[in-house]
Amino acid sequence: MKHVINIAMKSVYVLMPVTIVMAFLWAPPAELLGDYSRIIYFHVPLAWVSVLAFVVSGILSVIFLLDKKNRFSGLDGKSFNSAAIGLAFTVCTVMTGSIWAKLSWGSFWNWDPRETSIVFILLIYIAYFCLQAALAGKSSRGKIGSSYLIVAMATLPFFVFLIPRIVWSLHPETIINVNRTIYMDDQMWITLLTALISFSVLYVYLFNLMNRIMVLKHRIGEHPHAAD
Amino acid sequence: MSLAKKNSAEEGSVLVRDILRNLQKDFRVEFRSRFAVNIAVSFAGIVTISISLTAGGAPFPVKVQSILLWVVLFFSAMNGLAHIFVREEDQGTSLFLRITRSADSIYISKFIFNQIFMMIIGTVVTPLFVFFVGVDVIHVLHFIMSVIAGGFSIAASTTPLAAMAAKAGGKGSLFTIISFPILLPVLWISISSTAGALNEARPESGTVIFLLAFSGFITAISILLFRFIWLEN
Repeated sequence: MKHVINIAMKSVYVLMPVTIVMAFLWAPPAELLGDYSRIIYFHVPLAWVSVLAFVVSGILSVIFLLDKKNRFSGLDGKSFNSAAIGLAFTVCTVMTGSIWAKLSWGSFWNWDPRETSIVFILLIYIAYFCLQAALAGKSSRGKIGSSYLIVAMATLPFFVFLIPRIVWSLHPETIINVNRTIYMDDQMWITLLTALISFSVLYVYLFNLMNRIMVLKHRIGEHPHAAD
Repeated sequence: MSLAKKNSAEEGSVLVRDILRNLQKDFRVEFRSRFAVNIAVSFAGIVTISISLTAGGAPFPVKVQSILLWVVLFFSAMNGLAHIFVREEDQGTSLFLRITRSADSIYISKFIFNQIFMMIIGTVVTPLFVFFVGVDVIHVLHFIMSVIAGGFSIAASTTPLAAMAAKAGGKGSLFTIISFPILLPVLWISISSTAGALNEARPESGTVIFLLAFSGFITAISILLFRFIWLEN
């Protein structure tokens, strides 16, 4: 089973180049934005992985708080790692989103509800790392950090689904076609789905890597001369 | 009456009794020094008068009036909302509370205290601001509802975060850093809702509903999580 998971994770070495080739060479350009529309194959998967990473960190936090018998070790550290990956992906989402905004709307930042929401999410998770830093060395660090992550996860639906619907938005049903509706042909859909799968596998790969580093650091901390 | 029903009724009455005792203690301690209320109301008064003085009677656009009102309300409240938990940690009474009272009763009493505190701030600041800045409120009921719902959301969202900040050593800047991102949507929607009450067009009630829904949701999650924040093991 472990062997299968390892192979699945290593598929990222194939999936990512395939996604890049498909996004730039195979998928046709959209009618209105032309080649600029190719950013969708990176922006949407980055945003998806950001939310996925934050939800995983929230779920791990719930399990950490409910796990009174300590059956799963290092869950608070794992939720921290997932939040860190989520934060990095959110920064990339903001960057690709602002490039797309410049191409579509003429300026990098417009305070559109979706742009605003992603900034809120970014700030919430930056605040989480500030809280973790302030709690360094305290026994309550894991519990308080996990509680904050759950509160943060609980606010995600408000930012992702609710705010863009109650505040007027520039964010179109994607301005990539003349009639300003979502229309993607089969090649575009396949490329987007491949990108979503590739970035999700990349997340799993990074998450696993960070967890392994965390375990190694912990072991070195316990046995500082083990490597000698 | 069955034994299970009797036990749950007894637990309920103990919870209510503990909440009332905590509230009584908190109000006594607060009004002995009146530290939080004095600071918040003084801050609000000074800022409002400064805005009015520097504007020199020049009228602000509706959006600016609404932004300024919420900036004053937000920073006035920030001075006092964390105080309720920080004080327990500073004075070393949190350990006593942990031993003698249930986490639920502590959370509910602190939540009620913060709501009352926020209401006091809103009641003092809003008329003062309307008077000095010369705000022309067109939809009075919507304006009042916006201030109440916004204040309720601020107090509801900051109560669990105040407990976290207090546990982290009660550093004042930390409380602002961790609560500001959670409060940003509340402020954003409150500003938009208040601006709606100052415009001639009929305001939308969706903003007030969002604020109430957000605070209800955060409160429900906070009640579930508080025992993990409050109890050491």
